[in-house]
Parts: sequence; structure tokens; C-alpha cells
Amino acid sequence: MFTIDQYAYTNRLRVIHPGEKMAFALITLLIALIAPNLVIPAIIIFLMAGITIGVARIPVRFYLKLFLVPFSFLIAGIAMIALIITTQSLAVTKGITFLGWTIGVTPASIQLAGKIFCKSLGAVSCLYFLSLTTPMTEIISVLRKLHVPALLVDLISLNYRFIFVLLSTVDDIYTAQASRLGYVSLRTSYYSLGHLAVNLFIKTYKRSRELFVALTSRGYNEELKFLEVNYPFSWLFLFLAAGLDLALISLTIISWR
Amino acid sequence: MFRRTTWLTLYFLFAIAVMAQPAYAMHIMEGFLPFNWAALWFIVVLPFWFWGLRSIQKNIKSNPSLKMLLSLAGAYTFVLSALKLPSVTGSCSHPTGVGLGAILFGPAAMSVLGGIVLLFQALLLAHGGLSTLGANTFSMAVVGPFVAYGIYRLVRKLGGSMAIAVFLGATLGDLMTYVTTSIQLALAFPAQQGGVLASMIKFMGIFATTQLPLAISEGVLTVIVFNLLSTYNKNELQDLAVLSKEVHQ
Repeated sequence: MFTIDQYAYTNRLRVIHPGEKMAFALITLLIALIAPNLVIPAIIIFLMAGITIGVARIPVRFYLKLFLVPFSFLIAGIAMIALIITTQSLAVTKGITFLGWTIGVTPASIQLAGKIFCKSLGAVSCLYFLSLTTPMTEIISVLRKLHVPALLVDLISLNYRFIFVLLSTVDDIYTAQASRLGYVSLRTSYYSLGHLAVNLFIKTYKRSRELFVALTSRGYNEELKFLEVNYPFSWLFLFLAAGLDLALISLTIISWR
Repeated sequence: MFRRTTWLTLYFLFAIAVMAQPAYAMHIMEGFLPFNWAALWFIVVLPFWFWGLRSIQKNIKSNPSLKMLLSLAGAYTFVLSALKLPSVTGSCSHPTGVGLGAILFGPAAMSVLGGIVLLFQALLLAHGGLSTLGANTFSMAVVGPFVAYGIYRLVRKLGGSMAIAVFLGATLGDLMTYVTTSIQLALAFPAQQGGVLASMIKFMGIFATTQLPLAISEGVLTVIVFNLLSTYNKNELQDLAVLSKEVHQ
């Protein structure tokens, strides 16, 4: 139902230990965040894109489309950072003056916007590497091993499992409503959507009851136990990932000076 | 020549900003906040997660089926946010479900559930991000629910009808979420002249105005859902009323 989730289960890096992939993605993300210039995030974008497309074999078209998802936020956000609205126009400000107010850009603001643009996309490429190569269930099992509170992990894993059940219910209800012209106008859309939300809520509520009864009758006692797959550590991946991250870190330190 | 290109650039930026679907636009994207601010919002949000988990834990002791109900409530919020809501302006948006969740399950539980939903949105839908999870949780799962719930209770206490209380709660909860996001962005990127305040006006101008009709749409939808629930499903609501009272203690 979610293409990202599908690729997470079928990509070529699926067999690598999830902890290694998580560490690599998160450390690289941190480097992208603290990097002082835009060269390092740019390197990270190409690196992560290369690994995700070349090694994990995610289709290029899908990957590029995925990068368009945050673009509406990104463009609006950096435009607001680049634009300066002021009453005292500086010599460096390029823009238009209207009734004493100047709307424009300065070299400094453009530079800042460019830096944030690269940084954000660099971080996004790390997020995509993680979400496209590591299934949610494995991320959850890593969280469990990291001693995240058991209650939180249980909530996350039950939550994840039920998203798909509820989504297929929504799909059925939506199709039934749409085929009966339920979404033909704004008025009917609100009406239909309201009914959909309510029915989904009732079904959700009943399901939670049934789940509890089913679990209790099977000896549930405040602890959910899942079978976890054991992944062997991949030394090759570990060495390569550590090497790349070390190189990036030393680049960061050099450019700080 | 220069004036013309400037006009053109401005026009295009404006067009993109207006046309770009405001859909999930209010999640701060991955990597947009500088490291210090991203870390700060995690620290701010941590006590709320702690508090929410503690109160859930306490209630599960006396009512073990609560764990299932809350996980399903999280899944419900996630699925609701993936629906398309027809907006008054004609474009489609996604309901946040923040108001509905806060009124049904109580604001403390929502801070935990909202955080989980935001994690899934980042990993499964590529909306929001891991480094901005703290900031987004603060605006969507702490400020939004608390405002929605507070307004709802206040209007009820002042003798307002259920519909008005739900509408105001959901709409203002939504709006305050957007305002909080604008403040978060302004704090991280203060304007060179005018500082945080000038920057806040910039961000609010672009976000709050596009989000205002969406907040009203969400308010209307929440009222419809609530009316239907209270007409046909009194028993379940009474069960939940007990729950939300327990959870938000």
C-alpha cells in the first residue's frame, strides 16, 4: 500500500543487519546537519543516492519522485529565508522598493538559503536511505534492543501493524461511497468523509476489543513477544560505512578551520 | 532588465508557494532546522513523552485493554491524516486529526500517539523527518492537542453547545499548530533586520493564510464526525470519556 514500505522489504540491502543501516543513516544525517558549508551535504546527496539506487536497486524514477515530496515546503521555506522585507534598503539589497518598503534579496540571504537547501536535501537522502532499505518491523526490533521503553515499542509495533488493516477498510468504504456519487460535490464530500471517519472509528474500536480478547485467551500478560530474525553482521558494509563516515567527518573538521 | 528578472523570480516563487499543495506542508522537513534547534525541540518534547507514557502505563495497570485501544487510536490518526479532505478553496488537504484525537483520547495520550504517527509519516510517507521529529511533535502533538482540548473544555464550561466547542477546539488547535511551526522557523532563522518578529510575520504570512481555510474545513469535519458519534455511538463515547479523563490526569 505504501511504495516505500514495499521497497523496504524487497531491496538488495535487505539482508544487511538493520542496526548497521540505521547507524550509517543517522550518523550521516548528523554530519549533514552540522556541516559548515554546502559541499559536504552535496557529497552526501550523491553518496546516498548512489548507494540507494546503485546498491539497493531502487528505481531511479521512483527515487527522484520521492525527492519532490518535500519540495513545496522546501521552496516556500527557503524563499522566506532569502526574501528580506525592510524599510531601510542597504546597498547590497537587490529588489524592488514600494512605498518605502523594499522587498528583495541580499547576497548573504541567498547564500544562507542555498546552504539550507543543500543541507535539507542531504538530510532527506539519509532519511530515504533508511526508509527504503529497512522495514519498519526491523527498525522496531532495533529500538527494542536499544532498551527504548517496552510500552513505547509495543505501541509503535501494534500501531504499525494496524495501519494496513485500517487502510484497507478505508479503501473499501471510500470505493463504495465514491461509486455511489458520495464525493460528487463539496457538500456530499463532507457528509461522506464524516461517515467514513465515524465508521472507521467504530470499526477501530471494535477491533481493539477483539484483539484484546484474542490475546488474553492466548495468555497475554502485558508483554507482546515477536519472533525476530537474526541478522549476521556484515563486516564489509560496516567497514565501508565507517570509512565513508570517517572521511566525511574529517572533511567537516577541515572545513571548520 | 534587472527589475524584470526580479519580478519574474518573485512571481514564480509566489506561484510555487501558492500552488504547491499545502497538504502536509506544515511538517518541518528533514534537515531544515539547524542542529541546535532540532536538539532543543527534542529536549522540550521529552518531558511530554515521559509524562504521556507514565500516565498510559498507570492506566494500563487497571485496564489492560487500553494498550490495544491506544495503538489502534494511533493507527486511526495516521490513516485519517492520509485521507483527502476537500477544502473550501477547492484544493485538497489532509486532516490532521489532532482535534478529534485530543477530545477523544485526551492531550497527554496524544503527545505519545502523535509522536508515533509523525515517525510513521516520516518513514512511510516521506513527510516530515527524523531530525525534525522533536519540533514537529511539539507543534502537532503537544501544542495542537492541548489547545484543542483546552478550548473544548473551556467552551463547554462556559455553557457553549457541543458543536461550537468541538468546532472551535479543532479549528483553533489546527491554527495554533501552524502558528507554532511559524514560530519555530522564525526562531531558527531570524531576519537580518527586525529579528525573530519580522521573520515570524514572513513565515506566518505564507503558512497561516494558506492554512486558515484548511483549519476551518477540519473544524467542520470534526463537528460532523462528533455529531454522528454522539447520535449513534453513545456507549463507545462514554467508554472513551472515562478513558480520556483517566489518561489526562
